[in-house]
Amino acid sequence: MLVEHARSLAGVADASHAEYGPGGRPVISLLACSLQDQTIDVELTPGSLLSRLYGRPRAIERTTCSYGLTPEFRHIADEHGMRTAATDGTGEVRATERVDHPFFVGTLYQPQLTTVPGAAHPVFVGLLQAASGGRLAFGTAR
Amino acid sequence: MSARRRYASAVRRVVVNMLIDYSAEHPYHRASVAALQDASEQTGVAVEVRVVPTDTIDDADRLTDPGAAVFIGPGTPYRNPEAAHAVIRSARARGAPLVAT
Repeated sequence: MLVEHARSLAGVADASHAEYGPGGRPVISLLACSLQDQTIDVELTPGSLLSRLYGRPRAIERTTCSYGLTPEFRHIADEHGMRTAATDGTGEVRATERVDHPFFVGTLYQPQLTTVPGAAHPVFVGLLQAASGGRLAFGTAR
Repeated sequence: MSARRRYASAVRRVVVNMLIDYSAEHPYHRASVAALQDASEQTGVAVEVRVVPTDTIDDADRLTDPGAAVFIGPGTPYRNPEAAHAVIRSARARGAPLVAT
């Protein structure tokens, strides 16, 4: 999502993802400290769609990510219609969303690993509600 | 189609095109499908999950038609990352709901 954003809107036509090898300018690169199979605290940006979906300012999430937004390109998370929706304890961007779109959310953690029957993750609740044309139910976090 | 027109009338059944290259047996694949099913049960919105390996995509716009949502699943590197980018671009431009994890 951030690579497409960088290429199409942020003026980084050769934006790349480091996992695919050399070439281009990697806007996504290997984290200095891998978050593979870890639990992280995320701080949700006040006023963001993501924070309203959760209905609280913080959450605990699981992540399998070894890659994150390259510090040199940190600014693109808050430009051209994108905004930071969540950060972790180190200040790294962990989620972004578009402010000019009904529902366009990307996470650098894996919400599907914490959803359980009867307590679905608010990101997926929101996705289905947005797709169905229904009103988004805010504050559905477990 | 504008976002306003897309959501002019509510429907209770949606298609979610899930881009994922992991096999159906992979734990992250199973967890992703289960997450959508849990949300379906909680919201009452019926969901049809269509698994779309990235190397099978030949028309990104077909995956972002009205009534469809996009779930960019875990598991990079994708077999065809440019196809995944095309779907993301289409969802952004056409107002299709999208979650990328």
